[in-house]
Amino acid sequence: MSTKTLQASRLPALLDAIRQSTRLVAPARDGDRIHFRPVAAAAAEIASHRDYIVPRNSIKEFFFPRSEPLLAFERREAAVAVDDPPMAFPPTVLFGCRPCGAASLPIMDALYNWDSRDPFWNARRAATTVVAIACTRADEACFCTALGSAPNATAGADLLLTPLDDTRYLAEVLTPKGEAIVALAPDAFRDAAPGDADKQAPCQAALDALPSPLDLDRIAAWLAANFESDRWAPLSYKCLGCGCCTFLCPTCHCFDIVDEGTYRRGQRRKNWDACQTPLFSLHASGHNPRPDQAARWRQRIEHKFNYYVQKFAVRSCVGCGRCIRHCPVNMNILGQLQEISTL
Amino acid sequence: MSTPTEDLQARARALLESGEADLVIGYGQGTTPQKTTPIFITKAEDAGQLVLNPFCHNNLANWLTRKDLRARFPRIAVVAKEPDIRAVVVLIQEEQVKPDALRVIGVRVDRPGDPDSPCEVLPQTTLEDLQKHLRESFQPRDLTPDQLAAVEDLEAKPPAERWAFWRQQFDKCTRCHACRQACPMCYCDSCIASMNQPQWLDTSAHPQGNMAWNITRAFHLAGRCINCGECERACPVDIPLMLLNRFLARQVNAHFGYLAGYDTEEYQPFAAYKCEDNQDFIL
Repeated sequence: MSTKTLQASRLPALLDAIRQSTRLVAPARDGDRIHFRPVAAAAAEIASHRDYIVPRNSIKEFFFPRSEPLLAFERREAAVAVDDPPMAFPPTVLFGCRPCGAASLPIMDALYNWDSRDPFWNARRAATTVVAIACTRADEACFCTALGSAPNATAGADLLLTPLDDTRYLAEVLTPKGEAIVALAPDAFRDAAPGDADKQAPCQAALDALPSPLDLDRIAAWLAANFESDRWAPLSYKCLGCGCCTFLCPTCHCFDIVDEGTYRRGQRRKNWDACQTPLFSLHASGHNPRPDQAARWRQRIEHKFNYYVQKFAVRSCVGCGRCIRHCPVNMNILGQLQEISTL
Repeated sequence: MSTPTEDLQARARALLESGEADLVIGYGQGTTPQKTTPIFITKAEDAGQLVLNPFCHNNLANWLTRKDLRARFPRIAVVAKEPDIRAVVVLIQEEQVKPDALRVIGVRVDRPGDPDSPCEVLPQTTLEDLQKHLRESFQPRDLTPDQLAAVEDLEAKPPAERWAFWRQQFDKCTRCHACRQACPMCYCDSCIASMNQPQWLDTSAHPQGNMAWNITRAFHLAGRCINCGECERACPVDIPLMLLNRFLARQVNAHFGYLAGYDTEEYQPFAAYKCEDNQDFIL
């Protein structure tokens, strides 16, 4: 909608202004871990974007929490009372995610508005403003460019900040929610001069470190034709089925619905689940259509790069690299995709 | 002089060539120079892919109970660091692995993750000799001074403080169960956390569910954990799980004089009855 510059020295004041009017979620340091969490006390808690490639957790938990109540029930005399959970979600500004994190949101929107509109996802989406910061560097696990995105892409963001130098950010105001952020501290922003708009140069080091684009159509075609390939077993021998990848992934969205409580009262809850565990696909009969890790690992790749594309015309992966970076056995989904693209 | 990697490759090659093993589970180069990844070698000519360096983290004994591998490869050789040999010992004690069909390539990596850590292939080749090496050489090195200090610090805290500490730590848990999957001792076909008819443990990542899961797992590992640290390394939210496991290992040692994974001939304290066991906790 408009392009401005933001003085870096005014950023703490902007964050404090945000924090006073809304809930602020941002990357914060706890021990060695930089992760997204609500920042209640001061803007000083927020980790500098220079200190992280991506935070440990993805932003999905602020739209799709790891566990949330769907309803509560209580047995009273003759009847059972069923109560809806509170559906008022606090206005939130999610600050400091990377373009890959922001890009996960429209991908997930497709799923949560497909056969029914998920009220929890959509209400939180409506209540949340996303301020992304472009990447000035990348590590060996990053692969957004392999999927056709970029370290300064705007998809899913309301405001994108690109660090021009130590004193200024280029601020791309992309939506009315982004304009509302600017309106909180208008003095901190200036209209960008024509020379300011070069948002490539600050990201060049990241671009140089990132891999070249994958032939995604060819990968999808191979996946569609090779469900029964002998390759799946050796590809997945080392996979522990721990599910770290799915829990850290910004676009893994599967959940389980459980009833908890006693005979008298309890809750129905929606919890994160992972296709990498045997229980995920175990039938009530005892039959498991995904009996081994080869079938479960195949599911992860097929879902992200074939089924999701067929259903929603978009891949369920943003190339954030968390699944490579934090895998305890160093599974490398990028390497596997590169291999598949040559078959 | 040969390098540790060359020694390892030679040992693996010999096992595959002689037919003593039809699969060698070892370490290969990972996505960065500071990472290794488990690799599965079935042909002697591929043994050159194996590496041994300070970045060998995974406890490969974990793959000895994998059904898909066992169905394909009856005779497995595994590259095992000293804690991982302890895991093999426990798996044999618990009759999960048959020693006859198993070859252990014992290796020593003193400080996994430290680029300057010494590493070597151990000269011992039989399980008996490897266990003797563990008892004589490794047991005194099992806990580092830092690890010992951390667990003593926890022991010195009053119970209420310990409870508050763990409550805060377990609050981070997302119930991914990566700790279980990364653990060589967690091999149950049907984990208590997966039993849902009825549901034994709440699967929700709320305080009650998280506490139930983490305490249950810690109890199941008391007297069995071999201090490899893989659960803590796998945990995506940095819960200091090894602090809890070491705490319980020291309790077991204090009450029963037992350290897990040093002798296949010993009975585990919770799988044996002795008349002289302390009974004073029974009401």
